[in-house]
Amino acid sequence: MTAAPERLRIVIAEDAAIMRDGLTQTLTRRGHDVVAAVADGEALRQAVEEHRPDVAIIDVRMPPTHTDEGLRAAQAIHRDRPGVGVLVFSQYIETQSATELFASAPAGVGYLLKDRVADVSDFVDAITRVAHGGTVLDPEVVRQLLTASRRRDTLAALTPREREVLSLIAQGRSNAAIAAALFISPKVVEKHVANIFDKLGLAPDDNDNRRVIAALRYLES
Amino acid sequence: MSRSGRWAAPVPGTSNYAENVLREVSAWTRDHPWQADSLLAVTLFAFSTQQIPSGSVVTRVTAIVVSALLAATVIPRRRYPVAAFAVAAAIAAAQITLGVASNSHEPVPGLQPNATDLAILVLLYTLAAYRPRPVSLAGLAICLIGAGVAIAFWSPAHGAHPTGALFAAAAGLGGLTLTAWVLGDSVAYRYRRAYYASLEERAARLEAERDAQARIAAAAERARELQERRARVIDESAARLRRIERDLHDGAQVRLAALALTLGEIKENLESSGDDRTLALAGAAHQNAKDTLAELRDLARGIHPPVLDRGLGPALGILAGTSAIPVGLTVSLTERPSPAIEAMAYFCAAELLANAAKHSGASRITVSVRGQDAGLVLSVTDDGDGGARLVPGGGLAGLRERVQTVDGRLEADSPPGGPTIVTVELPGHA
Repeated sequence: MTAAPERLRIVIAEDAAIMRDGLTQTLTRRGHDVVAAVADGEALRQAVEEHRPDVAIIDVRMPPTHTDEGLRAAQAIHRDRPGVGVLVFSQYIETQSATELFASAPAGVGYLLKDRVADVSDFVDAITRVAHGGTVLDPEVVRQLLTASRRRDTLAALTPREREVLSLIAQGRSNAAIAAALFISPKVVEKHVANIFDKLGLAPDDNDNRRVIAALRYLES
Repeated sequence: MSRSGRWAAPVPGTSNYAENVLREVSAWTRDHPWQADSLLAVTLFAFSTQQIPSGSVVTRVTAIVVSALLAATVIPRRRYPVAAFAVAAAIAAAQITLGVASNSHEPVPGLQPNATDLAILVLLYTLAAYRPRPVSLAGLAICLIGAGVAIAFWSPAHGAHPTGALFAAAAGLGGLTLTAWVLGDSVAYRYRRAYYASLEERAARLEAERDAQARIAAAAERARELQERRARVIDESAARLRRIERDLHDGAQVRLAALALTLGEIKENLESSGDDRTLALAGAAHQNAKDTLAELRDLARGIHPPVLDRGLGPALGILAGTSAIPVGLTVSLTERPSPAIEAMAYFCAAELLANAAKHSGASRITVSVRGQDAGLVLSVTDDGDGGARLVPGGGLAGLRERVQTVDGRLEADSPPGGPTIVTVELPGHA
């Protein structure tokens, strides 16, 4: 793997020291600058104010209540400092929390299952995308949204390939990334995207973030 | 013919006809003491009319009046036994002293003892039957003395010296007197025994009642104690499960995630360095770590879903999100139940959703939670095929048993062809 083309300034908020240190070392080795690694929401807000990082990586469950401090902190940061990307990672998939986060913040937001840190390059890639104002949604959240959606009938009209593409769109992937993931040409991806939006009755949109929101709203409605 | 009881009329021709008549008569006399005793008095007086001495009008009138008075003493015998006896004894004493011929004086004809003197035996019997033994013994003594004095007056005057005549007179008067007393005393004895028996029975009944009440109170106390203990155990076990989940989250899960991160990095480093055999090993270890993480997560969530800490609404929201069949969810609770009840409601909903997904063939499920009294009602409705049954050992029966541990209720309404409605009622706390 090649080193990241730029040096991101990152704040980590995670109450487990072993995970905090592991992430710090990994990201440092990948050429990024972990400017602060803290253990709770209050320290996170101070660190963001002090360092104005490109992105904050935030564990959902932190002291004192160990429920959803991380989520609340991420929403507050995104509201007060829109330039700071927030990547929330959680031990459990909580679709509602994820969509809540995305509803309040259309860009520079990510929500990943904690396990995803194991696929290091993908994880670092996700951090980079969020830092650049992109959107990252865990594939598992997207899968649940697709399964639980009330639009089953319309979704059933999609071909398996189109469903795959829709899933990747909802995860926040660009056309280029989708093409690379599915080993198809960008032109074919464009065609699939157009077909999907047509079948779902959505207006075509080239902006990656906006089309994520459109897709999520569609699945949730 | 099997009629029985106090007022059963005697039936002529039956074997115990006489017995029936006796029973009727005795019942009547018991219930009408004044009439019965008046009848007795009249009878006694009637005997004396045969013995009215010839003589002057005064003598006859005296005899009739004395006899009538003596006979009348039996009328109030049951109400005033002692007084009646005293009057009769006084009259008899006057008769003995004045009416019995002796050596010292001529008898007053109107005061001669006659058949009406049987009244005194009736009164002695009454005394023995209705009054304490010392009183009746005093009565007996008076009667015996009276009899002795009478014989003492009478025998020299009639020259009845031979011991045979004396003995016959003593045996006659004394025997009659003793017999009256013994008869009365035996009746009193029966009464007393019955009375004591009834007292004893009453005491025993009261004691039994007291015992029963004490046992009921003790049982109620015990039930309350057990209920409190059960609530404590349920709450403690819910809290313990929550601690276990948190320990897993803070311990094994985070270590395993850090391990997977490191293995991921090793794998990626090997991908660029090119040692295929080591890469394959690292890849397998990495995959193992990730699979274990996923398994551990499912395990931890099965122990206590951490989102429950935020309330039943958010927890059920996430549960609905993971359902394979679309779920419509409404939660309206004004106050939060205890953590143990929230967990029970959550696991019920989880199992009912899983059941519906597996067996019902439904295309839509509705989950609703609303407050009721201090507790909640959870209902899960699906538009599937219906026919869900509470069979022993089945999933629904198992759920019902769990719900019953906190005095909750579970009802399933699932006609063939659907829809299926399962309703779970839970209290606000265990």
